[in-house]
Amino acid sequence: MKRRDLFAASLAAGIAGATRRRGWAATPEASAALGRTALHGTIPHLVPIRAHADQIMDIKVCLRPFRPAGPRMDVERVAGKTVVHNYGHGGSGWSLSWGAAHIAVGHAAATLERRVAVIGCGIIGLTSALTALRAGLDVTIYTRDLLPHTRSVRANGSWTPDSRIALTQQAGPEFAKTWEQMARYSWQTYRDYLGLPGNPIDFRDNYTLSDTPPDAADHAPTPTDPAKGNFATTGAPQSSAEFAEYASRISDIIPAPELLAGADNPFPVGYARRTPLMIYNFGAYGHLLLEEFHQAGGRIVIREFHSPADLADLPERVVINCPGYAARDWWNDKSLIPIRGQTSWLPPQPDAPYALEYKGAAMISKSDGVMIQGYDMYGLGEMDGVGNSFEHPDRAEAEKAIGIIEDLFTRFQPRNG
Amino acid sequence: MMSFSFPLRATALACVMACLPQTGGAWAQSYSTGHTGGRAGAAQPVSFSAEQVAHGAQIYAGACAMCHGADLDGGHDVPDLSTYFTARWANTPLDRLAGYIAHAMPLMAPGTLPPQDTAALVAFILHHNGATSATNAPLPMEEARLAKFRFPAPITQPPASGGKP
Repeated sequence: MKRRDLFAASLAAGIAGATRRRGWAATPEASAALGRTALHGTIPHLVPIRAHADQIMDIKVCLRPFRPAGPRMDVERVAGKTVVHNYGHGGSGWSLSWGAAHIAVGHAAATLERRVAVIGCGIIGLTSALTALRAGLDVTIYTRDLLPHTRSVRANGSWTPDSRIALTQQAGPEFAKTWEQMARYSWQTYRDYLGLPGNPIDFRDNYTLSDTPPDAADHAPTPTDPAKGNFATTGAPQSSAEFAEYASRISDIIPAPELLAGADNPFPVGYARRTPLMIYNFGAYGHLLLEEFHQAGGRIVIREFHSPADLADLPERVVINCPGYAARDWWNDKSLIPIRGQTSWLPPQPDAPYALEYKGAAMISKSDGVMIQGYDMYGLGEMDGVGNSFEHPDRAEAEKAIGIIEDLFTRFQPRNG
Repeated sequence: MMSFSFPLRATALACVMACLPQTGGAWAQSYSTGHTGGRAGAAQPVSFSAEQVAHGAQIYAGACAMCHGADLDGGHDVPDLSTYFTARWANTPLDRLAGYIAHAMPLMAPGTLPPQDTAALVAFILHHNGATSATNAPLPMEEARLAKFRFPAPITQPPASGGKP
């Protein structure tokens, strides 16, 4: 679901209902579910976020492995091996990982081979390997890098199951069902990691903030310029409207937003809503998954592959292939489109465990740092970063995003008590 | 045409809950059951009729789909009836699968499927998993005759060559 659209829908529903204000456009269908106002007294005392550019301790850049037709999850024979592909999950790899692993390992298990190789140790490779172990297979991960160095860890680490996962047209209706299967399976698996020591998986109240009312122009979906064409005519996505949205398929299990009434709104903005957001604390979660993998008897071999023909050397006859964006190079998959994303990391603020979005910048206070990301600071919507493979930190962009959050808290007046 | 309908949500929930132990503890052992890794020996090529597959699809929609899903892909707490299922049952004599379905399924009303419906379900599951029928002769209902067939292993076994032992 596009954040801007949901925001508009929720505010329109709730505020229209509260004030009977006339003249607003008809609200989207989802609005009915979003009309609840947060119960008075349920907004906790919030400690301000110390968002200042001179607090930056890290800037991370990733390239989301986006495929217009959705992730590659087919099975093929290559170099004498049965290769089960599991890559190209766009901005939804963490969120869909367990569900994608469940499908991929099913294909591997159906070969009746006991020994399986997993290529890659990002979040897709690691969850595939663990899932294979749990299915009783003998698993060796072959990887160039381990988790702190993989692109996976350069994500923002929150539940975004349909973020740049596919283009609606190119993926087709069948993929929507596969997506739902993956999303539901992942969501349920993640619940098993909640409440553990170190909080590998956790929830944050995410506050979506706006100065302008929901029918203001800045909340309208990014307009489509017909002159630009679309993926079918140009070979590249040209507008936000082309990107698939599937979130409504699982709205029965995902906590809905609540509107904050004016007196309860602690932020210096006119409009706010609150949504529980699942997050992944990379450090705690990554180490836990690696521990589980080793404890269950998994092996890791550090190795780099340069061509599919390299697979012939492996002792295993079944390979689960999880190279992420690297598939563009060593599998020559030119359907992969890079979508650049950058996150800045400030020191952890365990006293301020919440998240917010404001003016195209997102902040999530996590156990390993305060993450700040400019996800849509230029009004491009889903097109932000599309086709951009510049995988180096952009300090100016980082400071701009931090500046948005800094400005918010400059005007923040913490309530007493 | 459907032999079963289970309108109560409570029974559907009971089905899901009762399925939990089957997958909840599936840490390591599930792959080792149901097959030995060897070929199916002297078993006959499996045969089932198109009519059985169609009938099985109807039985499935009424009695099984609410838990195992319309696409047989199960769920987080419900066993699938496709890839993992194939691994668990490959090379197993079909009388055991039919017997299991007959006495254990559907979970909220076990033992209620007549033999012709059970055989049709087996045919439907085989068909869904890519098994081809040697002839259009129907799958038999009697256990002794079913025992002569085995659940087909995947057709494309990886070759012995192509890797170090």
